[in-house]
Amino acid sequence: MKVEQETPFKLIANCIPVKGAKRSSICDLHRGSIQLIPNDLYELIKKHEGNTIIEIKKEYNHKYDTVIDEYFEFLIEHEFIFFTATPELFPKMSMEWQSPNEITNAIIDIGRSYKYDIFKVLDGLTNMNCKHVELRFFRKIDFDEIETTVKHLNTIKSSVLSIDFTIPFSKDFDKKKVQDLMYNFPRVSSFRFYSAPEKKFIPPIDNKRGYIIYSNQVLKNVKCCGLIDPGLFSVNIKTFTESLKHNSCLNGKISIDIDGNIKNCPSMKKSFGHIDKNTFEEVLENKNYKEYWSINKNQIETCKDCEFRYICTDCRAYVETPKNTFSKPLKCGYDPYENTWEDWDKNPLKQEAINYYGLEPTESIS
Amino acid sequence: MILVIGDTNDITTNIAMEWIRHYTKDVKRINFSGYTPLNSLKITNQTCTSKIACIDTSKVEKIWHRRGSMRFLPSTLRNTTSSLYTYLKKEEDSLLKSLEDILGETKEYIGSYHKEVENYKIDYLLKAKDCGIRIPDTLITTSKKELQSFFNAYDQIITKDIRYGIKIKAQDSGMYSAGTFVVSEDMITSMKEHFAPTLVQEKIDKKYEIRVFFFKTTLYPMAILSQNDTKTSVDYRNYNREKPNRNVPVLLPKHIEQKVLNFIKRSRLSTGSIDLIVDRSDDYIFLEVNPQGQLDWVSKHCNYYIEKNIAEYLVFK
Repeated sequence: MKVEQETPFKLIANCIPVKGAKRSSICDLHRGSIQLIPNDLYELIKKHEGNTIIEIKKEYNHKYDTVIDEYFEFLIEHEFIFFTATPELFPKMSMEWQSPNEITNAIIDIGRSYKYDIFKVLDGLTNMNCKHVELRFFRKIDFDEIETTVKHLNTIKSSVLSIDFTIPFSKDFDKKKVQDLMYNFPRVSSFRFYSAPEKKFIPPIDNKRGYIIYSNQVLKNVKCCGLIDPGLFSVNIKTFTESLKHNSCLNGKISIDIDGNIKNCPSMKKSFGHIDKNTFEEVLENKNYKEYWSINKNQIETCKDCEFRYICTDCRAYVETPKNTFSKPLKCGYDPYENTWEDWDKNPLKQEAINYYGLEPTESIS
Repeated sequence: MILVIGDTNDITTNIAMEWIRHYTKDVKRINFSGYTPLNSLKITNQTCTSKIACIDTSKVEKIWHRRGSMRFLPSTLRNTTSSLYTYLKKEEDSLLKSLEDILGETKEYIGSYHKEVENYKIDYLLKAKDCGIRIPDTLITTSKKELQSFFNAYDQIITKDIRYGIKIKAQDSGMYSAGTFVVSEDMITSMKEHFAPTLVQEKIDKKYEIRVFFFKTTLYPMAILSQNDTKTSVDYRNYNREKPNRNVPVLLPKHIEQKVLNFIKRSRLSTGSIDLIVDRSDDYIFLEVNPQGQLDWVSKHCNYYIEKNIAEYLVFK
């Protein structure tokens, strides 16, 4: 595409500029990527979409013609804009987010301290039409147990479309065996082995199958969770629109901790019931259960000024100021005021919160 | 009760079913890939009743025929190479069409197997033209002479199938349709004086394409901005995977919208997908309609929630 000086330009409706404190981003929700732009360009797009380049240059008395040309070359290179004589025919995309199911995802933690029936949990999640499940083992587990669990999902024709396993590494999980399992049961979307002899990533054998991650970190408990990392960014219409009004971690989530307590997330203190006494339906009836679901990035301190806010995850379990519901996630090392990333656990200002939660810096995996 | 005819792995059926079940329990689903027992279609001098997959059809108020059809042939009889199967399928086809008409008499039947299998492009071109929508000049011929003179009359011409894309499997080779492609002088030269009926059209120099999914009288238009990409400039289905075409919500000008709605009404289509082209002079040109056209990508890229709207229509209207 060539630059057309005299035809109005229009932004691609599913490429959305997000303004941050010091710079902005364009979230390409169609192609799943993100580009960083200066805030000046953000303002230019916001103010002048639907105008011609000639008009824009004139507006600035031709003082910035070169910069404006550069900006447009960039926008065209990434196909963020197109030129049209009928801009009125290209509406903005609706920012609506809706889900037919109250519960969309679940985290199930399994440890040594308490034994509960995983099958019963999966049956309950299927009743709720839950789509994504993460099973995290904080105890030894053998391959057969995983295989029976996965087979059970088939038996009950489960609503669960994807299941991720986090498991302490053991020799029983031969790579070939794991890959075969993921091949035969496409809903198994990943295996993460911690305490592994080496770090390794095994990509999917075909694009509809799952991947394997080996990490040499040690996971002792739930305190591993809540990390904010660009690798976890999710650039698509669903996440983006959901994040506008909902919490990008807890919305639609239900969890069970290692003691069988039903919670928003296993890392949070408040329990809303117990798996051996209550159903998920009962827990959802508790008004307070959904308290966190609507806490969005527009309300969270620091995040609200961040250019990544609608593609990022969140964490309400570990925050910088534990008493403040709207505090920034503790395990985020990004500073939108300086545009710098640092290791979150090295930040001296976070030490108080780190001590408060009793976190050990090495306990995080991404 | 609502009855949905779809398929197991059809994402649209799956999403819409979730929405329908969100609103009501009174829904049944039949999948194309499975076997649908026809318990009875009973016609007496007083009554006409039917029971399909143990569903008493008199209880059904709305049918959404999303995809495929019911399949009354038990899987043991589905030996795709036998001529007996070909015969049984023909019988089944007649039955399916009759049954669709019968059910359509007493309940709202949205979508159609009949319309999908008898999707004659030429008929629809004429209907679109009668509704005042521009169409590409079109020739169907078996004669090289006619083809040559049509070729000479336009800057460029394209060809596509009259109804069925080529899909021929032989023992050690196969033949598959290339979709729409530009006809070159060389191609014509290499052809014999007479050939099988072939459809050619003037090639429209397009600004962009529009895919209009429609359900009843609601239109969901999406623009496909493919003009910068030689891979997809003739047929957007020749995908470019690294940099997929931009797909964005678009509005139809009022006068075009009215003509499209007239076309839908005249064609007696309750749902489907229309392909339009916008040319360099902002004219809207009708290409074709697909009665069981895909809507998933339209819904997804434009954030239209079409499946939810369909569910709401089925449950509440």
